[in-house]
Amino acid sequence: MAINFVRKFKSRQILGRLKSHDKEAFIKVYDASVDDIYRFVYFKIGHKEEAKDLTSMIFLKAWNHIQSNTLEDAKTLRALLYKIARNTIIDYYRESGNKLTASLDDEDHKIEIVDDAPAPAARLDQATDVDLIKRQLPLLKEEYREVIIMKFINDLSLEEIADISGKTKGNVRVLLHRALNALRELVEKEGRL
Amino acid sequence: MTSLNTNNMTNKDLIAKLNNLKKISPDSAWLSSNRELLLSQVSNSGAENLSYWKNLQINLSSAFKTAAQPAYALVAFILILLTGSLTSAEFLATSKPNDSLYIARIISEQVKLSTTFNTDARDRLASQFASEHAQDISAVLANPEFNTEENKDRVAVLSDSFNKEVDTVKNRITKLAASSAVKNSEVNNNSELLTIADSAKDQDGIQLLENNPGSNPLADKTFEQGQSGVEIYSTSSSDLSENKIETIKVEAVEDVAESLNPTSTLVNASSTVASSTEASDEVIKILDEAKKLFDAKDYDQALNKLKEVDQIIK
Repeated sequence: MAINFVRKFKSRQILGRLKSHDKEAFIKVYDASVDDIYRFVYFKIGHKEEAKDLTSMIFLKAWNHIQSNTLEDAKTLRALLYKIARNTIIDYYRESGNKLTASLDDEDHKIEIVDDAPAPAARLDQATDVDLIKRQLPLLKEEYREVIIMKFINDLSLEEIADISGKTKGNVRVLLHRALNALRELVEKEGRL
Repeated sequence: MTSLNTNNMTNKDLIAKLNNLKKISPDSAWLSSNRELLLSQVSNSGAENLSYWKNLQINLSSAFKTAAQPAYALVAFILILLTGSLTSAEFLATSKPNDSLYIARIISEQVKLSTTFNTDARDRLASQFASEHAQDISAVLANPEFNTEENKDRVAVLSDSFNKEVDTVKNRITKLAASSAVKNSEVNNNSELLTIADSAKDQDGIQLLENNPGSNPLADKTFEQGQSGVEIYSTSSSDLSENKIETIKVEAVEDVAESLNPTSTLVNASSTVASSTEASDEVIKILDEAKKLFDAKDYDQALNKLKEVDQIIK
């Protein structure tokens, strides 16, 4: 109860400060969400360096948006970052005429995994899991991949995903179910090979 | 760990594997350099450092908005609860045993019963509810559209419920009568005690009047014939403290005796015992008749009998 109250108070406070164009508040938002936005972009486009560039661009666009528009509530702040991220990725594809062709397990762009598992065997298992999923994610349909990243990697709520993707909560639930089944089939197929 | 066993993988396993991808993050060198870059870009585009007063205003406004929301929600919840309970009570009271809302009515009655802490009031309420249920069952079964061969299972269930409800009314009425009798016998005992106390008071009063004038010279001065015996000591000195205490005792007993009025209470109690026992016998008799009529499938007559019971209970 008290924790929830403090969390709500802090998000309202940040929102109020952002509305007054406070740069420190914006940097706080950056610190809190840069990892999530980076992961979202990285799993969507599959390139580490480009994901970094796009992430920088997304935050700058977000700042410009806040300057020129009025944010309504704290919930829309996170949704706003994801919406800007989606549009930026679409622009990126459009400009480069690129489709997601590169695999996430590209040797040139090896992902740094911050691993706190104590045992070497467990670490090996986890790395294998990550590799297995990483190999299969790009093979999923775009919308399936997107909801899986938002829900299971970045921990967004169904409501937030619905807001970002412009779908109803029911649609998102169905989409998630189908996306999980599709990914599971791919992973099982890969495991049998 | 299920990492290598990918056959027959469940969604839960898959989600656990996906959660491992949360650990992927950009390198810290890029994070800090990008932060600096963003800060400089933001600073060049009209960003401000907020003043102390502006910060305070934002903090107060945020605190107020955060606290106001749950307060509004609580007020709205209480209003909905009140409105709901006021409107639904009447609506539920009209539901019949073959309605889907009947269960809600039963629950609402159970809540009412469990929040009634006086045993007699609870018994009275329970008997009233049971009587109403029996009436409703009779009314439903009296309806030829419901009481058909198709609904024979439901009719059997309702008939069984009717018998249970009638038994409940009987039990509660018997309990009420017994409780009333116990209470009245207690009142009788108290009345006897009060009568004894009253006579004792009179004796004490005489004693006081007889003994004190001669035994205490101060009391002689204040003694006034024709006034109430207890008043003679009210103006006397501290030497009469013992007598004062006795006087106060007498006054207290007198007050209690007057307030309880033993003679009238005794008469009322006797008549109440008799009337409550009679009423209880009467109700049981009518209920037996209603049961017989119900068994003979004369539901309308059974309903009339139950209405009589209802009136007696109320």
